[in-house]
Formats: sequence, structure tokens, C-alpha cells
Amino acid sequence: MAKTNLEAKLVSVYRPHMKIIGDILSTARDDLDSEEGATVTYLIRKANVSHVRISKILNNLVSQGLLEQVDSQGAFRYKISSNGREFLVAYQTFSRFAENFGLLI
Amino acid sequence: MEFLLENILNLIGFVVGLAIGVIAYIGYKNTGSATLFRLSIAFLSISVGFFVVWTGYMAEDFVLQKGQIERWVQTLGIGIQTVGYFFIAFSHSIKSFFPKSRYLRSIGIIPLFLVSAVHIEHIFRSISFILLVYGAIETILSYFEGKKKGTIFVAMGLSFLALGEFLGWYSFVFPESILYYVSISIKIAGLISLFIPVSKIPLTKIKFDPEI
Repeated sequence: MAKTNLEAKLVSVYRPHMKIIGDILSTARDDLDSEEGATVTYLIRKANVSHVRISKILNNLVSQGLLEQVDSQGAFRYKISSNGREFLVAYQTFSRFAENFGLLI
Repeated sequence: MEFLLENILNLIGFVVGLAIGVIAYIGYKNTGSATLFRLSIAFLSISVGFFVVWTGYMAEDFVLQKGQIERWVQTLGIGIQTVGYFFIAFSHSIKSFFPKSRYLRSIGIIPLFLVSAVHIEHIFRSISFILLVYGAIETILSYFEGKKKGTIFVAMGLSFLALGEFLGWYSFVFPESILYYVSISIKIAGLISLFIPVSKIPLTKIKFDPEI
């Protein structure tokens, strides 16, 4: 019983906003053919974020130039941009830096 | 000997604090992370604090030659370092000045009783000790969650700095003893330990923000 509680606690660990952005960009970079881009549904499943929340984040990432929005047969798809790739490298490097201090960025 | 060790400690503190602070600031500029901003304030404060004390020793050695560093310079430098230690603890979501745990509070109060009648410098040292212990405990707990090797070095670094502060008090109680030199050596080891994981960060892979 105690183990189950511990597992539940570990699964529900708080994930900062920056980590969610990192997960979305990683998914867009690593999991997909870069020509097609990812659907919102795919990103929701891979990044484990609600639809309402991911819509706001995707709009923000597109306006910041980190993701590119592609209109594909009436549905939007998202591709990582070159700025997004650079941001992701910086995010992963400084994430490791912060982890050394026991912190999440 | 005292001047030499103090100069080595303060110079290493200045360089290590500056290096970590600059890396954290570059990280903040590239990612916009508030955690990295707090870390940059923390380590730049620590760096400035060590630099102020080092300047005090240099001024004493080459200009004033009174045989002792100006007390206010030392107090100012240690006060600035304490601000840095506060931000390290704050990065671990410290909610109030003293930790909520009864055990940690009891640890924190002891040094304040010990130094109640002496200078502000010693109060700053007490606060630094509490913050360093808090930071070290939180970092050790983070190690158990993430099992990152670098976290152990940072936890050791913070622990050594705390132990160095602690032994530093005893050197006031027992002046002329070896404790003072042990205290400074442990602090130097702590600073080096803090720098080890940071030195392994591959900054060359990053295309830096041109505005930095």
C-alpha cells in the first residue's frame, strides 16, 4: 500500500511550464518527419498536456518563432523551427546545469 | 599564513562565484527561466562578497598595514555573500526566513545564541550557516530523486561551506588554534566541489543570444 502511494506521488510530481515546453519541442524535433509536422492530438498525447493548455502554449511558441504552424488538409500541424532547435539545445544544457543544483528550470 | 589562506579562499570564491553566476545568467538570457535568474543573482552576490573581502585584505596588506582587515569591509563582504546564500536557499522554494521543520529551527537558533553579543559579521555568518545547511539538505534530497552525480558535488560543496562556517565560529572561541586553518581549507574544498559539475556543462554547443 505504501509503495502504491509513493508511486502515485512520483507520477504526480509537479512539472514546470518550461519542462512542458521542452517536452513539446523535443517531440516536434525527435519523434516526427520534419516535413509533415505534428498534429495537436499527437502533441497532447506525447507531451501529456490538456487541450486547453496546449493550445495556449502552441500559440505562444508559434508567436515566439520556436514552432512553425503548417496548414495541412484543414488541420494545423506544428514543426520545430531553427530557432526552436537552438532553444531546445540551450534548454537541455541549462536544464542539466540546474539539475546539478537540485533544481528544475 | 592567515593572510595567504584568506587570499586564496577569497580569490577562489570570487572566480567560482563569477563563473557559475555568468553561466546561470547566460542560461537565463537564453531560456528566460526564473530559476536560472535566481541562481545568477546568488552566485554573482557570492562572487562580489568574496571580492570585497579580498580587496579588504589587499588594501590592508599593501596600503593600510594595520595588521588586521578593516572590520566593516569584512562585514560588508560577508553580508553580500549571505544574500547569495539566501537566493540559493530561495531557489529551493524557501517559504519563510527560517525552515518550518522544528529540527532545522533548533539547529538554526543555536548559532544565534552563541554569537548574540558579538558583531553583525557573526550574525551574517550565522544566517549563512543556516541557509547553507538548508541548501545542502534540499540538494541532497534532490539527489535521491534524480540520482544525478553532479548534484552530489553541489551538495558536498554547500555542506563543506556550512561546515567551514561552523568551524570558523569555534576558531573565535578557541583563537590561535588550528581550527581556523581547517575552516578555511574546508571552505576552499567546498568551492572547488561546487565548480566541478558546472565545469562539465557543454557550453560550446549553444548558439548564444547576440544581445548578451
